[in-house]
Amino acid sequence: MKTIVTDVLVIGGGLAGLRTAIGARRRGHAVIVLSLVPPKRSHSAAAQGGMQASLANVTKGIGDNEDVHFEDTVRGSDWGCDQVVARMFVNTSPKAVRELAAWGTPWSRIQRGEREAVINSQKVTIAERDEAHGLIAQRDFGGTKKWRTCYVSDGTGHAMLYTTGDQAIRHGVEVRERVEALALIHDGERCYGAVARNLVTGELIACLARATTIATGGAGRLYRVTTNAVICEGIGHALALETGVAALGNMEAVQFHPTGIFPAGILVTEGCRGDGGLLRDVDGRRFMPDYEPEKKELASRDVVSRRMEEHIRRGKGVPTRFGPHLWLDITLLGRGHIEHNLREVKEICESFLGIDPVEQWIPVRPAQHYTMGGVRTRHTGESPWLKGLFAAGEAACWDLHGFNRLGGNSVAETVVAGMIVGEFISDFCDAPENNVDLPMSLARAFVAREESKLKALLARPGGENAFRLLAETQETMTRFVGIFREADGLEEGVTHLQRLLQRSRDIGVTGKSWGNNPELVAAYRVQRMVKLAITIAYGAHQRTESRGAHFREDFPRRNDREWLKRTLAFWPDEAATLPHLRHEPLDVAKMELPPGWRGYGMKNHVDHPDTAARQSEVEAIRARMKGRDRFDIQEALMPCRDKLPASLTGRNERLGEPL
Amino acid sequence: MHDGVLIAQSGLAGRGRKSRWPARLDLLQSLTGLLLALFVCAHLFFDSSILLGKDAMWAVSKFYEGYFVFGKAHPWLVSMVAGTLCVVFMAHALLALRKFPINYRQYRTFHAHARAMRHGDTRLWLWQVYTGFLLFFLASAHLYQMFFWPQAIGPHASSDRIWSDGHWPFYSVFLIAVVLHAVTGLYRLAVKWGRPGLPRPTLRTLRRLLTAFFLALGFAALATYMKIGYDHRDHYGERYHPAGNSPVDGDSPGSVPEESSSVEPSRFAGQRR
Amino acid sequence: MHAPAPVPAPVLASRRRTLAIDVLRYDPQAPASQPALQRYLLEEVDGMTLFIALNEIRERQDPTLRFDFVCRAGICGSCAMVVNGRPRLACRTLTRDLPDRVVLAPLPFFDLIGDLSVNTGKWMRGMSERLETWIHEREREVDITRIEERMEPELAAAIYELDRCVECGCCVAACGTARMREDFVGAVGMGKIARFRLDPRDTRDDGDYYELIGDDNGVFGCMSLLACHDVCPKSLPLETWIAFLRRRMVLQAADPFPSGG
Repeated sequence: MKTIVTDVLVIGGGLAGLRTAIGARRRGHAVIVLSLVPPKRSHSAAAQGGMQASLANVTKGIGDNEDVHFEDTVRGSDWGCDQVVARMFVNTSPKAVRELAAWGTPWSRIQRGEREAVINSQKVTIAERDEAHGLIAQRDFGGTKKWRTCYVSDGTGHAMLYTTGDQAIRHGVEVRERVEALALIHDGERCYGAVARNLVTGELIACLARATTIATGGAGRLYRVTTNAVICEGIGHALALETGVAALGNMEAVQFHPTGIFPAGILVTEGCRGDGGLLRDVDGRRFMPDYEPEKKELASRDVVSRRMEEHIRRGKGVPTRFGPHLWLDITLLGRGHIEHNLREVKEICESFLGIDPVEQWIPVRPAQHYTMGGVRTRHTGESPWLKGLFAAGEAACWDLHGFNRLGGNSVAETVVAGMIVGEFISDFCDAPENNVDLPMSLARAFVAREESKLKALLARPGGENAFRLLAETQETMTRFVGIFREADGLEEGVTHLQRLLQRSRDIGVTGKSWGNNPELVAAYRVQRMVKLAITIAYGAHQRTESRGAHFREDFPRRNDREWLKRTLAFWPDEAATLPHLRHEPLDVAKMELPPGWRGYGMKNHVDHPDTAARQSEVEAIRARMKGRDRFDIQEALMPCRDKLPASLTGRNERLGEPL
Repeated sequence: MHDGVLIAQSGLAGRGRKSRWPARLDLLQSLTGLLLALFVCAHLFFDSSILLGKDAMWAVSKFYEGYFVFGKAHPWLVSMVAGTLCVVFMAHALLALRKFPINYRQYRTFHAHARAMRHGDTRLWLWQVYTGFLLFFLASAHLYQMFFWPQAIGPHASSDRIWSDGHWPFYSVFLIAVVLHAVTGLYRLAVKWGRPGLPRPTLRTLRRLLTAFFLALGFAALATYMKIGYDHRDHYGERYHPAGNSPVDGDSPGSVPEESSSVEPSRFAGQRR
Repeated sequence: MHAPAPVPAPVLASRRRTLAIDVLRYDPQAPASQPALQRYLLEEVDGMTLFIALNEIRERQDPTLRFDFVCRAGICGSCAMVVNGRPRLACRTLTRDLPDRVVLAPLPFFDLIGDLSVNTGKWMRGMSERLETWIHEREREVDITRIEERMEPELAAAIYELDRCVECGCCVAACGTARMREDFVGAVGMGKIARFRLDPRDTRDDGDYYELIGDDNGVFGCMSLLACHDVCPKSLPLETWIAFLRRRMVLQAADPFPSGG
């Protein structure tokens, strides 16, 4: 058995993992990153739109600050998020952008003077200030009051990931590429690292560490059609779940995007509809006005996705070998507009569909887009149940996004979480009481356990086919735990997934090689993925309300009275076919922004009994402190100044707000 | 110097600040190549003066022997040009050698790579290697000839060499190799160092046109020399006297070669002009 | 409101064909393995990319087939392979643009992991370490609570254009120089230098860059075959950058005493 020892083990080499690693490395700790792929190939690169940070540089962003960003985020989450974490996030996000700027990210910059822009299909002229010339620019994004999304042309994630990846190399962060974590090494109280498998040689390695971080991104591949990369299989989530001790939070909160190109699921931007594109069905009919006479194609993301799926369910999809789809028609926008304003869309259509969207309709279908749920952690990123286990980014539920993530907050979260969690991990490692004696026999036992599991898969002669099980899992999730959910379907889905879980225990692998065996990889991954799928489906089944992206047809209202709670999923019994769910209430009395109407969507939620009291309390504090510094008011409403690591507590300078 | 040797011996060359020689060598390879290519182009124009008639060619050859400056032919001037070119040529060959495949395995790899890729510029480079390799011998032979028998250039002398001495196969191969190598070389210089406002497709077309042009020019001239040589076969060794010029004696241009060409009838084609 | 269907018909019977996909298979870890082509027959469907085709082969015909995909959207650069002789991104290759017989081989030059999977990551990291592809800034720590340093919008856009490389390895695999010179930095490396040279946040000067690429494994080794330029999936103007760097670096030749005494 090969053993490697380090201070900090980071599982996942995307933006969150790399930034966490850099943070710990800069504090003097030895760091090893395990990554399925070379870090610069991570799914973070696919974030095109941008990163939210309240710099307030552009004219349309004037007046923006942490408070506005905070409110947008909380409303976006449908009050499902942890407001303290949201505060930490909005305060750190501008620092993250500026740090990346100093590291070389070529953020798009402001050009002084007037320029044309399209807002709500209207041409308008915007004048940028002289004093803002050359500062980082922001663009508009859904669900935000101000223009707040910093971007690098059409490749924000790519530029951020390359900057961060190069900084990791500079700081000597050791990355083990093509190495996959199979299990966390723990004794039920403390996490000591992970059993890792070299995907090329098949070698099993015990990676022992004082602190272990899961930063493995989302779980989009649980669905048939997703915008996520093929490596986003939720394995990090499963690692935590399989400890039986650590919990996953809000796994039923899954975001769908209306226009993934079909069948690949590659995203085409919302701008297509924003600029006047239409959705059509198998008959070429524009169907959105039938469902949403007022907003039509421009209803919110979740609503449009729901309507599209509803229409497909009615048999109005275009049948293909890969399943039904609908059409996105932007031909009416004209060649000039498409080639000028929707360049990426055109390129994607040409490269992946071989069609010219100027003349042909684009096949689209809503696609899974983001996993709001994740490894439940405290605001420090550490699991409350397993000491020494941390999580950051999309894989974590610390809980910034609640039940719906705001566009531009995901890529921001990766680096912000990395900055914050990297500091807390370093503090953790620095504390003498967190020292560990190397638990060699424990590590040996875990490696032996994983080894015997792999050998069993290889030894079984026929058995179930891993690829088929995965396809069935994806099919089940798409069918029953997709955009629309209701009790019967979810029940059927859970039952079906439970059967799949049973069957996954009988997978046999035909190719018998120990290393470099894609079928073996699929086999052990699908076993974990089915568990995760059940966790999502069962969580969705239990949550009898609609909140954010979780929509129950049989319970269409948000119900704060019953459900202002976070779902926690544990899987203590390995032989079980259901997780153990707990629902952790959110404390309204401590909220800076008590639950209310989001400002969009349905206005028919059921209030929490404490909401009114807290609302008047908040108003009283605001009235009492009128005229005071906004930072003091904030602190009075919801104390969180001491929550951030000391190095990140500073205020953020803006043009209109000098330090 | 001693330090340098010691450092190199210890395998520490390249530590510390990097040598500037790679830059110089790369530049020098390009400059020598440029010089040679331009010379080849000019040379081909001079050669093809025969297309305008024997007088024109005679005048050009005499011009290079300084006849119109000194009033007397000095073939050693041609030798000097040949000698200088020889140095430039050797420098270029030596520098270019750095880029050659250094063993058969490397060559096989590159060859397979170029074949599989079906990429024009990659294949072109292979041709550059082939023609360059040929030129090691062909150009050396040619320069050797020009250096030692500079006087043997003229409408009849050259034609006799090409036809009666049977040199036309040599010149055919040489011509193809040198034109391909020179024009491709010029193209390569343009893409290597950059050029304003001339996209590569245009440059590629230009390269093809120039290659075709110089090959056509060269072969037209060669054919003309062959024709003259054929017609002149019975007067092998007789020098040409321009129509306007009265026959001149040994001191004067035009009469020069007789003694040298007849004195030692070596089988070396070169001397027979 | 029925548009006069500019709809691509989902199934055109006439265009249905069976593809013969020949994959060069080899497992460097299996002592008995011999490199050989293996043929897979596959029915083509509309919009089929090599990503779809290869996954279908693995799921239905041969679960042992090794290849790499990550984003499958042309963003991450994982799936470069040699398709009918030329390196390209498999995910962005539509089968309809290919003939009936498709030959797939792993990228040459890089360490082979198995079948179509190669270790570009290791080489790219080595390149980054060697060329120090990060900003060498003036001060060690920038105060990130302060307003960021300004930059001209055109300059930021120009840097991004140079930053678009996805390190897929196509340029190196297509490079004849690299095939003969193992330590060659490749167009990708020179592109990185061009990128940081343009960035005013990086304090390195041409003398410093000369130390990185001023030899026959760098810009002076390049033979300007420009296959890099012609196969780059991101259409980066590699030709222009390399020529530019060569001019800048050759100016360093004027420095007569590079050892600095």
